[in-house]
Amino acid sequence: MAAENHSPLEQFQIKTLISLPKIGGVDVSFTNSSLFMVIALTLITVFLVMGTRRRALVPGRWQCMAEMSYEFVANLIRDTVGNEGRKYFPLVFSLFMFILFGNLLGMVPYSFTYTSHIVVTFGMAIAVFLGVTILGFARHGLHFLHFFVPPGVSPVLWPLMIPIEIISYLSRPISLSVRLFANLTAGHTMLKVFAGFVISLGIVGGFLPLAFVVALSGLEFLIAFLQAYVFTILTCFYIKDALHMH
Amino acid sequence: MTNEREKPASLEQLDAKLRKARAEADETAGRTPRPEGATSGLGFALRIGVELVGALIVGGGLGLLLDRWLGTKPWLMLVFFVLGAAAGFLNVYRVATGLGQGVGYRPSGTKKNGTERPEG
Repeated sequence: MAAENHSPLEQFQIKTLISLPKIGGVDVSFTNSSLFMVIALTLITVFLVMGTRRRALVPGRWQCMAEMSYEFVANLIRDTVGNEGRKYFPLVFSLFMFILFGNLLGMVPYSFTYTSHIVVTFGMAIAVFLGVTILGFARHGLHFLHFFVPPGVSPVLWPLMIPIEIISYLSRPISLSVRLFANLTAGHTMLKVFAGFVISLGIVGGFLPLAFVVALSGLEFLIAFLQAYVFTILTCFYIKDALHMH
Repeated sequence: MTNEREKPASLEQLDAKLRKARAEADETAGRTPRPEGATSGLGFALRIGVELVGALIVGGGLGLLLDRWLGTKPWLMLVFFVLGAAAGFLNVYRVATGLGQGVGYRPSGTKKNGTERPEG
């Protein structure tokens, strides 16, 4: 049987589509991951450009959706960062749309979920982390280091508390990226495992896992939205922290 | 027809009122914490587990790197692993109690008009 050697993890395999010469020792080949990123970017551009093309006073369906996504992120920033956060709207909105479309594209059968790769999520998380740290230092100078001194703690405990605070700060990009990556990877693997049960249990017992797959697909759509939301709101919180330290 | 005569005046008044209300809304928008809806509650739950592990990874990794650099093979790793665990618990505690959602930083309760935020 051809289906025998199908592993549930096979969906995460990177396949080179167009081989490109290495640049500075880095493999820059065009892979299926890159392909889906390009597809996501194209879809986002088409969605937003087409949605805002008419600009009717009474929005149509597409315009309504484009405006909803805009307002969702705008409100998120306003609620967390405040008015100063407006400057960072383009960054946060791009992140949100890129992750959301990546997650949703992954729900299309036979597609590739680029957000299920820690390289991608960690790349985004470390960019946010570095950006926010630079922002904090640019904004507050060396005063930013006061962050690592917890208030209301006696100086005796500083040698203990400051390393803890620094580790806690450095763990931000890890938790930010692992959360997205783990949720997507686990969810998609689970879907494939249960789908495999449908085949192996056959027509007699296959209906139970089939029902599971249907339910899990629904859950995965929820996760796709939620994880994009969580990544975005944490980015907002980090920006807020860097802007107003306390 | 009712207030045609005072329309410009009332419009200007309305404009001023609107502007004032907007300024007030902007003022408060950044201050008020986001109400936790059903979806953000679930998003909140999904955040917690990773916080602990993330800090552990960073702590252990930092210890390993420092060990390799200073040549103190197992000791710094052990120390930083414990510190990482402490940082992980701190993260979880902060997320769970809602002390400054920004994980890893001090609670923003010092200056903000946060009500139920204890010092810590």
